[in-house]
Amino acid sequence: MKIFDFLKILFSFSLPWLSASSLANSDSQLPEVACRYEMKVTPHGKFKATSTKAWFFWRKPGMVQTQDADGHYGEIWQRTANGSIQYRKLYHVDKTAIEYMPADMPTNNMSFDWIKLSSMLDQQELHALKPVKKTRVLDRSAELRKGKVDNRDIEVLWLPDVSLPASIISKDKTGRAELRLIAIEPLSATHRKPVDIEEIANYRHIDAADFGDMENDPFVKKVMAFTEHHNH
Amino acid sequence: MQLLKKFSVATISSVLATGIVQSAEEPAPEDWFNAGRQTVIDAGHLNPNEKHAKNIILFVGDGMGVSTVTAARIYDGQQKGGHGEENSLSFEKLPYLALSKTYSVDQQTPDSAPTMTAMVTGVKTIGDSLSVNQFVAHSEPDANIVNANKLTTILERAKSDGMSVGIVSTARITHATPAATYAHTTNRDWEGDSDLPAGATVPDIAAQLIDFNINGGIDVALGGGRTRFIPKTATDPEYGIAGKRKDGRDLTADWINKHNNARYVWNKEQFDAIDPNATDHLLGLFEPSHVHYEADRIAHDKAGEPSLTEMTRKAIDILKKNKNGYFLMVEGGRIDHAHHSGNAYRALTDTQQLAAAVQAAMEKTNTKETLIIVTADHSHVFTIGGYPQRGNPILGLTQGVGASSPDLDMLGLPYTTLNYANGTGYTGASNLQPAGSKTFTTPNTASWPSGSEGHNPASFSPAFGRPLLVNPQVQAPDYLQETIIPLGAETHAAEDVAIFAGGPKAHLFHGVMEQNVIYHVMAEALGLAEQRR
Ligand SMILES: [Zn+2]
Repeated sequence: MKIFDFLKILFSFSLPWLSASSLANSDSQLPEVACRYEMKVTPHGKFKATSTKAWFFWRKPGMVQTQDADGHYGEIWQRTANGSIQYRKLYHVDKTAIEYMPADMPTNNMSFDWIKLSSMLDQQELHALKPVKKTRVLDRSAELRKGKVDNRDIEVLWLPDVSLPASIISKDKTGRAELRLIAIEPLSATHRKPVDIEEIANYRHIDAADFGDMENDPFVKKVMAFTEHHNH
Repeated sequence: MQLLKKFSVATISSVLATGIVQSAEEPAPEDWFNAGRQTVIDAGHLNPNEKHAKNIILFVGDGMGVSTVTAARIYDGQQKGGHGEENSLSFEKLPYLALSKTYSVDQQTPDSAPTMTAMVTGVKTIGDSLSVNQFVAHSEPDANIVNANKLTTILERAKSDGMSVGIVSTARITHATPAATYAHTTNRDWEGDSDLPAGATVPDIAAQLIDFNINGGIDVALGGGRTRFIPKTATDPEYGIAGKRKDGRDLTADWINKHNNARYVWNKEQFDAIDPNATDHLLGLFEPSHVHYEADRIAHDKAGEPSLTEMTRKAIDILKKNKNGYFLMVEGGRIDHAHHSGNAYRALTDTQQLAAAVQAAMEKTNTKETLIIVTADHSHVFTIGGYPQRGNPILGLTQGVGASSPDLDMLGLPYTTLNYANGTGYTGASNLQPAGSKTFTTPNTASWPSGSEGHNPASFSPAFGRPLLVNPQVQAPDYLQETIIPLGAETHAAEDVAIFAGGPKAHLFHGVMEQNVIYHVMAEALGLAEQRR
């Protein structure tokens, strides 16, 4: 499961979207950070095993990048000078990027909200939860918020200084899911860096719309098999 | 037969292409009889045009199989307020028809590369190869080997003969179908230099378009695919994303420099401002990759882009200035993509747009001197089934003659008339959408703003039974028709596709033909066959 799939599970409620262009440059005050998150999903029931997964999350002005702990798979969002957001899935082992082209993004309902990308939750989602107490976590001041969304109990530990969650816990009758920040440091100080944009530019690029015509492509075949394998 | 009240005789006559009855009444038995008789009388007066063609326009609906044409005809007719079945798309009124066998040298079900190669070179080849013969291995990087095995295309022959040539597509202009007309390579995916393997000497497809050096170069190229024409140090004018060329070339600037009286445009305003009489070489690249589906074009495009019809009109206006005539290829390139996504609505509306482009071409040309061919490269696993009554909404649930509610299957559940044999509309849960009907867009309910990426699933769980379908849902533009076999993308199909033709030598299309015969009819029409002898 990828980091955003997890967040989809946590928050399945619909909210009005802020447009990325109207918020242009509003992330310039957000500090550049490198984070490591861990996700744990514990389904109820005897035979269902807990699954754990770790990600890296990097943020700097105009770019958000994530990567699996093993470094094989990642995603990158870049905001261009005119407010468009370019989204690519990155397969680092194959040095290949899958692009979701602008012509197909509105068609596919892929409207991105830059604030949400940079902070994982937007203000509206945060304010849908009640502040419970102020505390400290990882040497930073934090704010605990709780609430019920779509029959799920949601608990968010928010770091206002960096505008990121230190944890998100979601519980319902099917189980418990938790996202926890394990480490956070300035981007300049981290030894695990995001993949350089220049390097990604040299990856092979495939438009997602072309998948149907690439059934014999070794990479496309492998990606299908890969994900299938990991979902079972 | 309450349904038949809406039926207009004018529409029957249009399907029969005769225009005999003008009554607003529904057709009586004798109307059917007379219209049928009139069609035969007209056929008897159909005189084969044995003259050479001055111009040829080859329309290719990518993936536009016969079922797609039929469903689009009904959809279009229902949009116009009729029952739909009696309607005919513009190209269905062309007088000559044949079936085309689409297999390639190594594929029972082909892709667009060898099929378009067959149409434009007269020779079948292997999958993924563009206008090179079957003896070169797939992904051959050596330009000398590719050159030694290249097949001359109809576009190249026309240009050598002093004609003007143009290509128009809603796909990237470097995509397989348009590329086969001007490029020679053994891997259709080598569209830009960054797609080539290290050490390859065969030029990328975009460079082959710009460097095409017969008689002053290609005259008109309109479509998508901008990023493979601009260097990675430059940014896209519409979206600001980086270009993809590693060699530093700006092919849009090269187009201007290498051609006489040339222009480059990337949005509709610039496109509209082009005076065909003052422009001899026009390059238009309207999106970084494929242009929009017609259903989404106006609502969603940032900078505005012309429709396939508008591009076709502009191309003809530029090309027709040459008194030696022209060859123009027009592709409805995204019918194929909509089908791969399992979305009938966008496949049908893009087919409708291709028909509008053909109509525009018919209006702009003289059938005595212009050969118009409309065909497809291959089909898709798209079916029109059940026993719906006359005029039943083509995207809707099947409802039988005289029935007041939709027909039920043996599980007691309604079903749609349009379905796919395989693909993304499988009703088991996918990694992107829950069990039940699938939609083209994953609903934007998630908090993480990657939101939706369309339904390109990477995995499915088994479906149990079928979902309960209701009419507004299945007729919505984003509904994905059900499939039996779950796949990440719906596939092409192997059955024959139709060739519709009118104009000089169009009568040479007859019966069931190999797809490569299309080239030979075009060569015959241009008189190139005699020259060779
Ligand atoms: Zn295809």
